[in-house]
Amino acid sequence: MTTPPQPQAGIGWRHPHYGELLQSLPALDFLEVHSENFFGAGGAACAVLRQARAHYPISLHGVGLGLGSVAGIDDWHLEQLARLVAEIEPVRVSDHACFARGTLTALPGRAHRQVHEVHEVHAADLLPIPFNAAALDVMCANVQRVQDRLKRQLLVENLSAYLSFNSSDRSETVFLSELVKRTGCGLLVDVNNIYVNALNAQLGGSAADPVAACMAWLDEIAPGAVGELHVAGHQHCGDIVIDDHGSRVSDAVWLVYAHAQQRFGNVPALVEWDTGIPPLQALLDEVGLARSPQTAQAELA
Amino acid sequence: MSVAVIAPDLAHEQSLLLAALFGEIGDPKHTFKGVGLNSQRGLQALRANGEALALRALTAAYPVTAELIGSESFEPLASYFWKQQPPQRGDIAQWGGGLPDFLDAAPQLADEPFLGDVARIEWLLHCAATAADAVADVASLALLAGDAPGQPTLVLSDGAALVASDWPVVSIIHAHLLYGDEKAQALTRAGGLLKRGTGERALVWRQGFKPQLRLVSAAEYALLSALLSGLPLERALNEGFAAPPDDAQGPFDFSAWLGQSVQTGLFTGAKYIENNIENNIDNNKECTS
Repeated sequence: MTTPPQPQAGIGWRHPHYGELLQSLPALDFLEVHSENFFGAGGAACAVLRQARAHYPISLHGVGLGLGSVAGIDDWHLEQLARLVAEIEPVRVSDHACFARGTLTALPGRAHRQVHEVHEVHAADLLPIPFNAAALDVMCANVQRVQDRLKRQLLVENLSAYLSFNSSDRSETVFLSELVKRTGCGLLVDVNNIYVNALNAQLGGSAADPVAACMAWLDEIAPGAVGELHVAGHQHCGDIVIDDHGSRVSDAVWLVYAHAQQRFGNVPALVEWDTGIPPLQALLDEVGLARSPQTAQAELA
Repeated sequence: MSVAVIAPDLAHEQSLLLAALFGEIGDPKHTFKGVGLNSQRGLQALRANGEALALRALTAAYPVTAELIGSESFEPLASYFWKQQPPQRGDIAQWGGGLPDFLDAAPQLADEPFLGDVARIEWLLHCAATAADAVADVASLALLAGDAPGQPTLVLSDGAALVASDWPVVSIIHAHLLYGDEKAQALTRAGGLLKRGTGERALVWRQGFKPQLRLVSAAEYALLSALLSGLPLERALNEGFAAPPDDAQGPFDFSAWLGQSVQTGLFTGAKYIENNIENNIDNNKECTS
C-alpha cells in the first residue's frame, strides 16, 4: 500500500462556527457534523448544512443510534439518518460502539411517579457495553441493519468508557476486530478516547504506561479496518479523566496519533472541540498538526 | 423494531445501567464498576453528563420559562424532569415536549399557573424552527375563485399552531425577549394584564427561518383552528365570523388578513379537499414523528 503524503484533515463543525466558516471557507478536507443536529425536516440548520456541502465533503457522525442496544435501532432514527445521507451524500457515516436504548423496569420508589407509560428510554449518552459474545451478536445485527438500510459501510467509533462490565471476556480490540470481520464495517479510531481510557486505567491501579498502552491497542487493530481518526482534548479531574473535547489535543495524544497514522496509512483525521468552543483559528491550528503527524511528533520529541 | 438477537443477560445489564442513571438505585457493583480512582466515579460522571444535557436542552427549548422560574430552581427542575420523563429518541431536540403538562401539575408552581402555557408556546416555537421549509405556491390561490369540483381551503405552513390561554402568555413571552428599559416596561404591562386576568390567544408559525409568535383575535383563532383541522375555507370563514367580537382587535377583515398572511408565510397556498374530514388538532409532544 502506498502511504499518502499527508492525511486529510477536518474539524467537527459546531454552531458557533457556522457563519464564520461559511464566510472564510478555510482550506479543510472535510467537515464533520453530528447527524442528529440535522434531523429536522427543515429550518436554518439544514440550510446551513446544504450550504457547507457545496464547499466541503461532509462526514456524518452520529451520537444516537445506540448500536450496542439489545432493544435494537429506533426505526425513526434510522429513517432520519437515511434521509440525511441521501440528501448530503456524505463522504463517511459513523456512530459509536455503545448502547443507548433500553427498558426501564419498574423500580421501588417509582410507582407513583408521573411518567410515560412506555418505559423505553434513550439515555442520550454513549453508554459502554461489555466485550463478550452476546454484545458482539447484538452489535453485529444492529450494524448490519444500518448498513443494509443506508446501502453503505458504517464506521464504528471506540468509546471513552467510564464503566467496565464484569461480564467482559475479551479485549476491546478483539471485540472491534470481530465486529469488522463479521459486518464489513470500518472503525473510526478515537485516539483521545484510547488515551483517556489508559489514563483512567492508571488511576485505577494499572501499572502500564498510558502512551505505550495506547500504541499496543493500535497495534492490535488491522490497518485496513480504520477509516478515520479523531483527536480531541480531555480534562483531568483528579479522580477521573473526562473526555470533554474542551481543550487542545495533548502532547501525548499527538504522539499516539502519529503512531496511528503510521500504522493505518494516513487516514482522514478530525479535530473535535465540543465544549468551551474557541475561535475557529484554534481548530485550524490543530488541523495543521493533524496534517503533519510526523512533524508534530518531532516537535514534541 | 428489536433485533432478532436474544441476549437476556445483556438486556438485564443494560436495564440495570439505565436504572442506575435514571432511577433511584445505587451502584450495582456485581454488574459493572467505574473507572478511575473511585469505583463510584464513573457512574457519577455519566449521571452528571445526563443532568447537564437536560439543563442545556430545556434551556434551549424553553428560554423564557427558564428565566421565569429562575436558574436556581430551573436547574434542579431539569434534573428531576430528566429522571421523570427520560428521552425516548436519540435526537435530544425531540426531548422535553412533556414539560408544559409537567409544570401544570407541579404543586410547587401553583402560584404561577401561566407557566404551563408559556412553556406550551415555547415548545411550539422550538418545533416550528425545524419544521419543513415552506414552499409557497401563490398561483394556487386562484383555486379560491375557481369553480372546479371540491372545496378550496388554505394550506398553512408546517409548524403553524395555536394556543388559547387564560393568561397573557404572548405578552409575557414578548416582554422577556426584549432588553433594558423596553423589557422593564413590557414586563410591567404584562404584569398588569396578569393581575386583571386577561387571557390571550397565540399563533405560532415560521417566517423564513425565524419562528414567529403573535396575538390573534377570537375570529382569527376560530378561522385558523378550522383551517388547521382541515376544513374548507368557506366553513372556516363561517367559524371566524361567528366568533364573538373582540373589542381590542376590531372586526375581522379577511382580505387584509389574506394579504398579510401571504406576506408573512403563514400559509403556502390553496388546495381542494375532496372529503370534508375534520381532523383533530394535535400540538404534538414531539416535533416530528
